Amino acid sequence: MTLTPVDYVILVLYFAFVIGIGWKLRKSATSASEFLTAGHHVPVWITSLAFLAANLGAQEVVGMAASGAKYGIMTAHFYWIGAVPAMLFIGVFMMPFYYGSKARSVPEYLKMRFDEKTRGLNAITFAVMTLFSSGISMYALAKMFNLVLGWNFNNSILLSGAIVLAYTYLGGLRSAIYNEVLQFFLIVLGFSPLAILSVMRAGGWSGIQHRLPDVMTHTWRYVGHANENPMGVEVFGLVAGLGFVLSFGYWCTDFLVVQRAMAADSMSAARRTPLLAAFPKMLMPFIVILPGIAALALTKMGSGYALPPKGASYDYDQALTTLMAQFYPSGLLGVGLTALMASFMSGMAGNVTAFNTVFTYDIYQGYIKPNAPDSHYLKVGRLTTIVGIALSIATAYLAAQFNDIMDFLQLVFGFVNAPLFATFLLGMFWKRATGHGAFAGLLSGTGAAALVHGLTAAEGKGAWIVQLHVFPSQMAQNFWIAIFAWTTCFLVTILVSLATAPHVEERLRGLVYGLTELPREEGVPWYKRPLPLAMVVIAALVVLNLIFL
Amino acid sequence: MLDLRVPSGVFFGLVGALLLAVSFTNPHAPMTDSNVDLYTGLAMLAFGGFLLLLAMRSRKA
Repeated sequence: MTLTPVDYVILVLYFAFVIGIGWKLRKSATSASEFLTAGHHVPVWITSLAFLAANLGAQEVVGMAASGAKYGIMTAHFYWIGAVPAMLFIGVFMMPFYYGSKARSVPEYLKMRFDEKTRGLNAITFAVMTLFSSGISMYALAKMFNLVLGWNFNNSILLSGAIVLAYTYLGGLRSAIYNEVLQFFLIVLGFSPLAILSVMRAGGWSGIQHRLPDVMTHTWRYVGHANENPMGVEVFGLVAGLGFVLSFGYWCTDFLVVQRAMAADSMSAARRTPLLAAFPKMLMPFIVILPGIAALALTKMGSGYALPPKGASYDYDQALTTLMAQFYPSGLLGVGLTALMASFMSGMAGNVTAFNTVFTYDIYQGYIKPNAPDSHYLKVGRLTTIVGIALSIATAYLAAQFNDIMDFLQLVFGFVNAPLFATFLLGMFWKRATGHGAFAGLLSGTGAAALVHGLTAAEGKGAWIVQLHVFPSQMAQNFWIAIFAWTTCFLVTILVSLATAPHVEERLRGLVYGLTELPREEGVPWYKRPLPLAMVVIAALVVLNLIFL
Repeated sequence: MLDLRVPSGVFFGLVGALLLAVSFTNPHAPMTDSNVDLYTGLAMLAFGGFLLLLAMRSRKA
């Protein structure tokens, strides 16, 4: 792929605008709470799009096209059941407690609701995980630019790190959020033409259906048994593992996304943030997955485009970039690459700002220096931005050197995350749940995840204790690990809570269902109320699933 | 406070204009006969203009 000067002009223009937005917002970041939580007055259309964009990293965009080519339209499950229902749940049911508690972070909510140790566990694991995931995606991006454009690995890492640093250092969370919206627009406008062109060239959706096996163009028809579909998953593992445990665990508890909703200017806006984000989320498969499916169809029909081969199969990870090289003339190619860069930066800035807030408030203020003036925490927050990005860069190099360690760490992170939603569900909706219960539940849930991995194998991995069961795919194994971890955490939290002294009810006011005055929505038009909005989303979701049944 | 619609509108207006300018001389991409730069450029100009229009209306109000 070769770029012309106009492509570079577009890329540089984009860099200038993101830094310019940070520069414009620098005056608003004058206190720690403005810098780290955006002072709770960001308009709802901005928080909703940022809610979506912070999660829409480059790895997701590239990975979803790859999955589209590998698994077909079933990949849309990661959006339609793997994200949207959880987004509705947090908006309708959980946000009153998050936003109403006045907590500045998710770990801080855990401290208010449970105790110090539960918060410490969550804060520290979250901080480490965000840094690593930011570093890993940085590594992936630099490697891709090196492969596709021949750019120098070090320069890609340093340049992208420096630009994210510039705008988050200047304007803090607000600057990251505002830029995420610009990045979101760019991702949509930069990748939609690719979806349109590649699908048209493959003969439209009906042409694709003709050229590919039936299983690639249906979402639900082949999930009755794991050996019927290329993902190797069956309906229970898919719905309970992905649709419930993993999806709710991420969208309802991960501070990276929750932070965006908490920056909204009112309770009502905070609740609507994930609900409004659900509309574009639902449609994202058409932009990020369809090109991958079209790439496979184009390969099969001998159109002149072919997925690059890899062994006996294809190098799916190159689906997106090879399509761009074939369908985009110079000019639009610059837009496409800029969109890729934008998706990377929105993901990285999301990680860095979430890390900042958790480190400054939950670790630094919590354990290192509790009673300093606000200006001190602002200074620490800014410094943490620099340190966080430096550590991400270090992680990227670590990933380049030791691939196995990274795979291992990601496995461990999965074990830590799997039980989380059980803790929040019980914490928010059962006032009898105690701090000891939550802590024991989280630890035993993580232990259960490791145990299931040790006892089962998939694609030659796992079963490091003894092999009791073999899963048809790693995806199926992940889903079932999550199901076991969640169930263990849920049960242990209940049992230990019942065996320990309950929290004083007065302390739980505003934090738990039954002790919290729920927000009233009377006299508000229906399209601004959470429940009717959620109903519209569900109806649209059902229609989409029926179309691609 | 910065109205995000203004910088976004200007950005997409500029990129759209740039695409439009190169669309007349650019060779087509290998896999398509249509002038993709032209269509995307027009779409971006329209989107940028729409954002600026919204921003202007709310400023007047």
